Order: sequence, then structure tokens, then C-alpha cells
Amino acid sequence: MNDYTFGIKELDNAIDGLTKGKNIMLIGPPMSGKEIILYNVMYYGAATNENGIIMVTTREPATHILDWFKEHNLDLPMSRIGIVDCVTKTLGSNEVENDNIKITNSPVDLTGIGVKISQFLDEFYMKKNIRKNQLHINSLSTLLMYSNIQTVFRFLHVFTGRIKGAGALGIFILESGMHDDKDINTLKQLFDGIIEIKSENDRNFIRVIGLSQKPTPWFQYEIEGSNIKMGE
Amino acid sequence: MVETGIPKLDEFLGGGIPDGKSLVYYIQPGVEGEVFGLQTVYTSLKSAKTVVYVASSTSPDNIKGQFAQFGWDIDIFKDRFFFVDAYNSLIRAPSKEKYVVSNPENIEDLSKIIIDMMKELPPSTIVFGSLSTVLDLCGEKETVEAIRNWNKYAILHDHTAIYNFTAWPYSQETLDSIKKELFNAVIAVGGIADRVIFGQYYWILKSDWIKESRKSMLKSDWTKDSRKSMLFRVSRPGGITLFIPKILITGAFFAGKSTFLHALSTQTVSIDRIGTTIAIERCHVEYKGFSADIFGTSGQERFTPIIKLLSGESMGVFLILDSSNPQDFIHTKEMLQITKSYGLPYIVIANKQDLQEALTPEEIRKHLDLGKDIPVVPAVAKDKIGIFEAFEILIDKITGGI
Repeated sequence: MNDYTFGIKELDNAIDGLTKGKNIMLIGPPMSGKEIILYNVMYYGAATNENGIIMVTTREPATHILDWFKEHNLDLPMSRIGIVDCVTKTLGSNEVENDNIKITNSPVDLTGIGVKISQFLDEFYMKKNIRKNQLHINSLSTLLMYSNIQTVFRFLHVFTGRIKGAGALGIFILESGMHDDKDINTLKQLFDGIIEIKSENDRNFIRVIGLSQKPTPWFQYEIEGSNIKMGE
Repeated sequence: MVETGIPKLDEFLGGGIPDGKSLVYYIQPGVEGEVFGLQTVYTSLKSAKTVVYVASSTSPDNIKGQFAQFGWDIDIFKDRFFFVDAYNSLIRAPSKEKYVVSNPENIEDLSKIIIDMMKELPPSTIVFGSLSTVLDLCGEKETVEAIRNWNKYAILHDHTAIYNFTAWPYSQETLDSIKKELFNAVIAVGGIADRVIFGQYYWILKSDWIKESRKSMLKSDWTKDSRKSMLFRVSRPGGITLFIPKILITGAFFAGKSTFLHALSTQTVSIDRIGTTIAIERCHVEYKGFSADIFGTSGQERFTPIIKLLSGESMGVFLILDSSNPQDFIHTKEMLQITKSYGLPYIVIANKQDLQEALTPEEIRKHLDLGKDIPVVPAVAKDKIGIFEAFEILIDKITGGI
């Protein structure tokens, strides 16, 4: 059943679509294009599937993310976009909130991040009547730099539960090679599936685990501008 | 006595928080509850108290910015408003505050600064901005022990200690200590949630200084526990304001919606033609300390868009049906689907139970394929039977939280 799709044909076909309420970890090494993959999922979700998108950014300010879409001529439907910005205040900027951007105190302030996510969910679901919503967090690795694994686990425990309850889709980026395997395995308990990326000999590969009967094959891909060019 | 400045709360607490007492705002994750601490700070400053804010999850400068967003000018109180900066050291940033914790991840460092500050200052209002961050950084057991100590020093020096605590899924032991043991008063701050959180409320979970007589007056005797919920919104500027929730009543043609509304309220406005509602009606209910505006619309199918519109702004739904008319259950089921799609709490009122051919609530449950968690309340609206029970059950469903 196709309640949600990634917008990456090869992966969508391989898992035969996503049902509501799924939480997915997107894990891969640095510089492998995880962010661009997530932006593609975000764009496809909002522009094609008409879903609400809530993006929590702990890596760059919300305005930079919106600029990225503009620079690549990707016209985001802004009424469906909400960005929770955990960066701007830590840079000492006086940027103010608007309809699309809510600013939290810092990546330490998981309580504040949680409040802003809930506000966007309420706004999309109740006020704008958007029944399908996606929560993307980029990235858990930054949260883990500021808070310990138990704290992040507790936060995710609550919000992966909310994703299930709201019939939404959650995608959470984690850098591989940065954390203990034990920590990654602890977090994995909270997810229904994994989008896994690996880099070998300057080539990147992607596959999905846990969302179909068996893992999908590895697909080679390249990032070209804003596009993901899938290979065999 | 420290006034919190939260509408109605000081009244419920018998005027505020006595010196030497402690209070925790016990906040459900995702609910905008930290403003409770901020509003208490500002109210305390306005009443000439010395105030200390313990900043753990963000910098004092950001906290000052939050006061500004609420329209609260704190600069005029800078001679008696202090921060314990337990954040900047975490990110290796310098601090210009008087009290700085060099290692916020070490409970002994934090405790030393807190206790030194308590010894040094005159009786003050001390607000911990994020107790959950302290627990996260320093460990649950260590923090619980430290709180005991801080509260003892608060008693000794006549300080009033107030804590914002977000109830993430900590160990049950920790949550029980915070809810039941560590503080003189616990104010639960929760969210009305089904699929999403779409309303917020607070109630007094515990307060050991309210006299028994006052407690019984406040006690809402309609529920098993002594809960009295106040729904609130957070405005910028303005802070916490109370509001009256909107409840929708819907059901098939001639199910008895208007009769139900008239029975429940003293103030009803409706647009009638030849005995049936043709557009929309509204009534206001004040019952056992709880207020609500109830909106109803005609059961005819052409009014379904109005139901959708009202559903988007409601906090709960009465779905009323004529128990003696199963033919209409199909339309009722459609209305149920609309209601369900908004994720609103709802109950079913099985009206006209006095008629001989009326189906029992259990038979209706089977017809509508309702789960056990959906109450089906038997009623005879024209005789005011089951009306107030239904209201109580729905309100309890709306506010059933932490």
C-alpha cells in the first residue's frame, strides 16, 4: 500500500510503498549525500504527494535549507512546509519565526524541539486538514553530540510514538562511523526500517532494510546538482 | 507568598505559593509548558521579589529574549533578577552572569552554586527553567537527591522553589518521586491529544498547603479523582490565557440534538424552521466549574460540510442518535467517519431510550462497530436523563492526560 513514497522510483518499487506510521532511520557515512536524499524526499512529499513536511534542522539554519531549494529551482509549496530550526539561536542570530520557521533555543533543548514539532503537527493536521505528514530530523548525530543516548532515546521514544499515532512518516538521519554500535543498536529499536548508505571506491550505494520481506538490493547512485541519479 | 500569575491558579492555590514551599510544573512532552515558569518569574518580579532563574537548556540571553517575546520587560528588574548559568559552559561559551556552573554535567558543581546562591540571597523565587535537562545531564538518581537538598535549603532560607519539568519517559521511580514525593505542589500541564496535540490544559495534581475545606470546594466531584482542568493558550505577547473550548454535537435528522443542547444549557441560540434546525446552533454550558461552548448543526446530509468545518476547530464531539431508528445509523456512521478523521475525542449518546423499540447501548455499539473505549451513553434528552453524565464523560475524555 502506498500511503507514502520516497519519490525515488527504484526504492519505492523495491519496497512496494510505505504504510502509515513508519519511522525510518537514514544512516550513512559523511559526504554521501544523505541530506540531498532527504531534501528530495521532502520535495517529492510536499510537491507531488501534497503531504505536510516538518523538518527539524540541527545542522544548518532553516533559511539555508529554503535557499537550497530556490537555488535548484525547486518550488516548494510553502503552506505545507514547517522547519524547526535548532541552529539559528546558537549562532547568535536574531532571525524571527514566521509561518514556515519555528526557532528553538538549541539542540540541547529537546523539550523546545518537541513543542515546535507538536505545533506544526497540530497546524497541519487540524487547521490545514493535511492528513499525511512527514517528520524529518537532520540529524540525530547532532542531538547525540549535545545529549546522551538515554536522553535522545527518550525523546525519540515519544516522537516515534506520535508518528505512529498520527499515521505520519518519520525519517531520521544518523551519521555512520560517528557513534558506538551499541548506541546505534539502541536507537534502531525505535525504527521500523532503515535506509542504509555505503561508500565503496568513491561510489555510493543505497538500500532499504525492514520495509519489505527482505532487504532491497544495493542501488548505486550519484548526486548531480539536486538530483539523485540511480544506477543498476 | 509567591503569585504564579497563571490565570486562576493562584486562586486555586489559596493565593499563591507560600515562602519555603516548592512547586513543580509537570509538563507532558510536546506541550508548551515552560512558559509557566517564565510567567511565574515575571509575576514575582512585578511584586518586588528577588528572582533567580536556573538556565540549563539554553543561554540566559535566549531566556531574556523569550521574556521579550511575551512582552515582559525584565530589564527594569535587573537589580534583583539573577541567572544561574548552567548552559554556556556546556558549549564552551563565556558567561557574564553572577552565578556560573563550570560543569553542568556534574550535579555537585550545580548543587554548590545553587546552595551558595540560596545562602547568599534574601528570600527569593527560584525557578528552574528545565529540570529535565538537569536530569538528562546529571543522571536521574543524582538529580532526585539534589532536589531534596535544594528544597531543604529553600525551607531553611525562606526561598520558594519552582521547577519546570518535562515528563519524558524517565524511570517510573523518578516520575513517581517527582509527582508524589519531592514537591509540596504539582501542577500537571497536559495536552489534549489523539493523533496530534490540539489543546492544552493544566490542573492541580497535588498541593499540601491548601486547607481541607478549600480543597473540597475545588474538588471536581464528577470524576474519580480530584481533577479540575483549565484549558489555556499561549499568546505572544501575553503569556498564558484561559479559553473556553468548543465542542461539536452532530447526529442524524431528528436524533434529538436541539433537545440535548437545550437540556444542557441555559443559553441557546438556534435557527429553526418547522421544528428542525436548518443551519447551526450554539449553547454555552457551565457545569461543575467547567465551561464549554457547544455547536450543533442539522443532521441532514447537505450540512456535512459545516460539520467538517466545525470539527476542525472543536476539542471533542457528541455523536447523538435515535436509539429506536437503526435506519439512520448508516448516516450516523458516515458522520462518525468524518469525526474520526479529525482525530477528535468523541462519545455516542444513545438518545430516546424511553421508546419501546430502542436498541440498548450494547446493541448500538455492535451496529456502529465501536471499540470498547468509545462510551455509548444511554439518554432521554427530553427528560434530561443522561445529559450531564454525557457531558462529564466527554470532558473527562478530552482532559484525560498525564
